[in-house]
Order: sequence, then structure tokens, then C-alpha cells
Amino acid sequence: MSVLSAEGLTKSYKKGINAAENITFSVEKGEIFALIGPNGAGKTTTIRMIATLLTPTEGDAVISGHSVVKEPEKAREHITYLPDEAGAYKSMKGIDYLNFMAGLYAKTSAEQSEYVKRAVDMCGLGERLEERINGYSRGMIRKLLLSRAVMSRPDLAILDEATSGLDVLNALDIRKTIKRLAREEGMSFLLSSHNMLEIEFLSDRVGIMSEGKLLLTGTIEDLKSKFGARNLEEVFEKAVSGEVSL
Amino acid sequence: MKFGALLKKELSQLLNKQAIISMVATLFIFIFMGTVMNGTMNKLHEDEEDSTWSEETGGSISLVNCDKGEFVKEMFEEMKKNNTTVEVLSEENDMAAWQRIMDEKELKTLAVIPEDFSEKAEKGEEPSIKVVTSVTGTGLSNMIKDNTGSVSAVDAITQYLSDKKLEEKGITKEELEKLNDNVSLVEFTSANGKIAEVPSSAVSGLVMSMSMIMPFAVFFLLMMASSMIMSAISTEKIDKTLETLLSAPVSRIHVLGAKVLAAIITALLNAVVMMIGFGFYINGASGGTISSAVTATMSNSGVDVTEAVKIADGIAALGLNLSGSTIALIFLELFITLAIGLCISLILGALASDAQSLQTLLMPVMFLVMIPFFVSIFMDMNSMNIVGKVIMFIIPFTHAYTAAGNIIFGHTGMLVGGLIYQLFFLAAVMYAAVKVFTTDLLFTMKLPESKAAAKKTK
Ligand SMILES: Nc1ncnc2c1ncn2[C@@H]1O[C@H](COP(=O)(O)OP(=O)(O)OP(=O)(O)O)[C@@H](O)[C@H]1O
Ligand SMILES: [Mg+2]
Repeated sequence: MSVLSAEGLTKSYKKGINAAENITFSVEKGEIFALIGPNGAGKTTTIRMIATLLTPTEGDAVISGHSVVKEPEKAREHITYLPDEAGAYKSMKGIDYLNFMAGLYAKTSAEQSEYVKRAVDMCGLGERLEERINGYSRGMIRKLLLSRAVMSRPDLAILDEATSGLDVLNALDIRKTIKRLAREEGMSFLLSSHNMLEIEFLSDRVGIMSEGKLLLTGTIEDLKSKFGARNLEEVFEKAVSGEVSL
Repeated sequence: MKFGALLKKELSQLLNKQAIISMVATLFIFIFMGTVMNGTMNKLHEDEEDSTWSEETGGSISLVNCDKGEFVKEMFEEMKKNNTTVEVLSEENDMAAWQRIMDEKELKTLAVIPEDFSEKAEKGEEPSIKVVTSVTGTGLSNMIKDNTGSVSAVDAITQYLSDKKLEEKGITKEELEKLNDNVSLVEFTSANGKIAEVPSSAVSGLVMSMSMIMPFAVFFLLMMASSMIMSAISTEKIDKTLETLLSAPVSRIHVLGAKVLAAIITALLNAVVMMIGFGFYINGASGGTISSAVTATMSNSGVDVTEAVKIADGIAALGLNLSGSTIALIFLELFITLAIGLCISLILGALASDAQSLQTLLMPVMFLVMIPFFVSIFMDMNSMNIVGKVIMFIIPFTHAYTAAGNIIFGHTGMLVGGLIYQLFFLAAVMYAAVKVFTTDLLFTMKLPESKAAAKKTK
């Protein structure tokens, strides 16, 4: 059974204009799926519907057996969502933030401290977790939020532009962690990214979006051979510009 | 457990160090202002006695005379010789008649010579004069005692009595001044169309405490809670923490509930501190009459019990309403008003997408809360013209400020009308708030872009 299956997800903010239109795809257990596409393609809109923040105008998505339309609260128990450009409560210390968020996901206090411990190990902020988030750099906040997003081992972690704002080494580190969590612990990921290198390294399958539509999905190898391209960047270019009929 | 965690987070964000410091600072400012006001008001009371009569030049006095005795007749004749015109407004020994006179002539105070004045004076006992003071409204104007009418009469009579004593007993002026007043005053209050024997300071004190301290509490709670809830919501949007929070397995209603509850708790805490401060302030401003009146009426401890009972009886005789159900009604009013304020702030908080738009949105709310508050304190709303009244009535917060006065003075129509209007208003804003928070509106709603901002982006 798929961890996520989206069926005809459609969202229009204004009548007559669909920011996302008839999006259908699925993410299997332990799979890393990436949505790519130009700015304004509808990636974030699609992701927010799956994260139960926006109600689809049409269609539905089922997460671990729970419809985001009919049982959003149940669905949320199986996901975590890291929004693009997200922040954290500035007046809190890093460690308090992790504690607070863990409390929202954990069913027992033992589970809560287990989550926190995992996040502390993963974020690499060390001593600085005792400082207020107020004084963190952008990258530090991102690492804090990323470790928060995976600490509870959700069925599906949804990361919108996961490594944006991170330096090369930190980004590399995060990618390795994501890959390890998927391979070793069977966590599934839904990512969006503008970094083709990152996508090539991480994803099992990608979906290419443009102007609200999901143009095609497939493994990176499939797409490369289909477009006769050397790398994902070329695939992206050809698919989005409509040079090659799909 | 999750709700507890949410509430704790909201509280810790609202009750930070700065908030506590500013709370304490405000308290001190009030206490300081109260002390200053106390000084000025005391001075004001001293300067106030500009009567229409003076010992040197005479003048005019008007009063009610219930005494048919020779002593009083003689007194009036003697006064006329000394350039004093005496106008006897009535000779009826009937409180209803006095009330009529006060209404007709729009008198603030009225002196009444009681039946036994001559008798007592002739016997050499100390005669008394009844002084009726009317307490009509709930505004600040009632705080400043305006005794001119009765003061003139009382002064003239006192002067006459002391002159007479000087003549009869041949004592010197200095010796006389050492003696106490030659006449005792019995205080009456006219309120609600009735007159009863109770000091007006006690009644106005009570009315004040209900009609000023109560509105102040509402005002303060509204200002605090509204701005806190607005920033609690908008800060999550501005700092981009809202989406993360709402994608966690907690219901939106709990997230919202924790915010509202934390805002109310903090506001209440602040209100208690401010009430203490404002108590000092008002007490200073009224020259201390309020606290003594309130303690006298509200508690039986520490003050003369018989006196307190007498005052309470007097207030009851005036038909001023202060039963348990009245107080319940006041609390209902308070609750509805607070709920309206919170719903409006919830919606506006969701609209704000940056610190600047938050400021812009906060302004109209503050005005809506502030204007009727100050109008209710400094003006008598019943004496406004129809347009003013309608505008005030439309602002839902007005009704909270006028409720106590309406209840005390029995303006039931105004009270019930206001309550019904508020309930409809509450239903509307509550529906809107729930709509905003349970739908996409929370994320998609935006302020219409101003022309200046639109130009900039171009
Ligand atoms: N709250 C909103 N109200 C109205 N329109 C919106 C809203 N959010 C997004 N849109 C529109 O929906 C379309 C898709 O936006 P979306 O944010 O999903 O794109 P994206 O693929 O995530 O882009 P990016 O790569 O820049 O993050 C855009 O045209 C955008 O203008
Ligand atoms: Mg996006």
C-alpha cells in the first residue's frame, strides 16, 4: 500500500485559475519522491494540500489510509511538514522548541524525550541549543527544523525546499541523513527542490510540474532516456519548455 | 496533554520579562497620578465655594422651608434687612415635592429647613438643616461636588445664628469660632427620581465604582486581550511558524483555544494589577470619597456597622439596583463584550501578514474600544444628539461601558436593547472567526493592497 496517494488534487485560489490541477501521483514506503518545476508551478500548493493546510478544490490525497479531506487530523498523525522559509519561535531556546514540538507528536513522555534526543543528535547544534533561537543563523534554524521534521519518524516527511539556505557541507550532511532514514528506517519523503544535483542524488522518482500541471513522473533513469538527456537539468529544461511532446 | 503544552507555550510568550516590567511600571504610574490628582482635587474642593451669598454683601438664597415657627420668620426678615433675598421654593414637608422642585429648577443641591428648626433653636439646642444632593448620571462630572445652591443657604443661616448668639450672650467673635458649627447638616440624596437620607458621597461613590471602575476594567481587558490575541496570531504568520504548528496532529480549535485562553489569563492578570492602580487613581481624583463610600456600603468590617446598614438602606430606598442578579447581568455583559473583542482580533490577526499591517489593523480596534470609553466617562451619553447616540450604539463596546449605569438607574430598555444587539453582533463575528480559522482563509486571506504599496511593487 502506498504511504501517499494523491488523486486529481486541484486547487484554485481565484475562480477559474488553477494553481494546481488534477495532480495524481503516489509515494511508496521508503521512497523519496521529488516535485520539481519552475517558480509558481504549483509545487507548494500541492504540498500544502497534502499537509492538510489547504482544502483541495477537487480531488483527495490518502496518507496511510486517511483522507486529507475527510480525516485531516488522523492524516496529520502520519506526516510532518517543513514549509519553505519556515521559522521557529524566536523567544524559545532551541532545545525548548524541540521539546514543544515533540510534545505535539508523542503519545507518552518517554516517546517525547526519545524524539528530542534524536533531534539533538541529528541537528548538530550542540551547546547552541541552549541559546534562544533569536540569535540563530538561517542555516541553524533550517537544521533545527529539519531535525524536528524527522525526529518523530513519520510515515511521510514533507520537505519543501529541504536544504535551502544551507552551505554545501551542511546540505550534503542533510542529504545523507534523509537517504539513510529512507533506506534504513523505511521513512518516505516528499520533497520539492530547485537543486537538480540534490534531486539526482536523493530521489527515487521525480514529478515535473509546470503551470499547475504534473507533466510526468518517473525514475531519473527513465526520464533521462526518454528525453535523451545527460542529466536531470536537461530533462527539466526540455519537459518544461515543451520541446519534446510528452 | 497537548492542549496543556500549547497553553504553556502561549503563556510563556505573552508573560515574558518585558510584559511583567511594563505591568509593574504602569501600576506605579497610576499610583503616582493618583497622588498628584489627590492634591489637585483637594485644592479644587477648597476653591469651589463660590456661593451666591456672602457675609459682607449679602446676596440671594433659595430653600425649602417646612417650619412655620416664629424663629424662622424672624430669621428671614432679619436676613432681608441685610441685603439678602430669600426665596422660599416650597413649604411642603414632602420628599416628592422637593424632588419636583429640583427637577423643575435643575438644582444640583437643595437646602431644607425642617419642621423642628424653630423649636430647637428656641430651646437653645443645635438645629439641623437637611441638604439634598442629586446624583444623576455616571460621568466624571458627578465626581466634583457642586454644592453652590445649598451652600449659600447654609452659610446665610449659619451666619444669622452666630450673629444672634453674639448678640444674646455677648461673647466675642474669637470665642464663637472656637465653638462648633451652630447648625448640623443632615445629608440626603436625590437619585433615580427619589430622595432618601443617605450621604450623596456614598451614592455617587457606589455609582462611580460601578460605572467607572467597571468600564475601566472592560476597557483594559479589551485593549490587552485584543492586542495580545492579534499579535499571537499574526506573529505566527509573520515568523512563519503557523504552518508548521497547524500541520502537527493537533486540532486547529485547540491551537486557537490555547491562544485565546492565554490571552484572557494574561489580560485578567494585568487587569487585576491595573485595577489596583486605577483604584488609587480614582480615589485620588475623587478626594477619597469613593473608597470610604464603597467600604461603607460594601463591607461591614472596620466601619461603623449601623452607619453602613443605614447607608445600604438609603441606597435601597432610592431604588438603585444592586442585587445578585444585577451583578450577574454585568458579568454577562462583560463576557459578551470580551468575546466580541476577541473574535474581531482573531480575524484581524489572521489578516496581518507583517508587522506593519498589524499596526495598521490594531488602530481601528483601539479606536473602537477607546472612543466609547472616554465618551462614557467624560460625557453623559443620554444627553447626546440622536446622531451621536446612534453612532455610539452601533459600536458594540459602548454597551459594556454604559451597562452598569443603565442597570443602576434602571434604564432597562437601553440595557436589554444593547444586550440583544451585542448578541447578534457576537454571533456574526464568531461565525466569521470560525470560518476564517477552519478554512483556507487563514492562509489565503490578505489585506487589500494599498495604492502606495501597489505602486511600489510596480
Ligand atoms: N495564497 C495564495 N493566493 C493566491 N494565489 C496563490 C497563493 N499562493 C500561491 N498562489 C499562486 O499559485 C501558483 C502556484 O504557487 P506555488 O507557491 O504553489 O508555486 P511553487 O511551485 O511552490 O513555486 P516556487 O518554486 O517559487 O516555490 C502561483 O501562480 C502563485 O501565484
Ligand atoms: Mg514553493
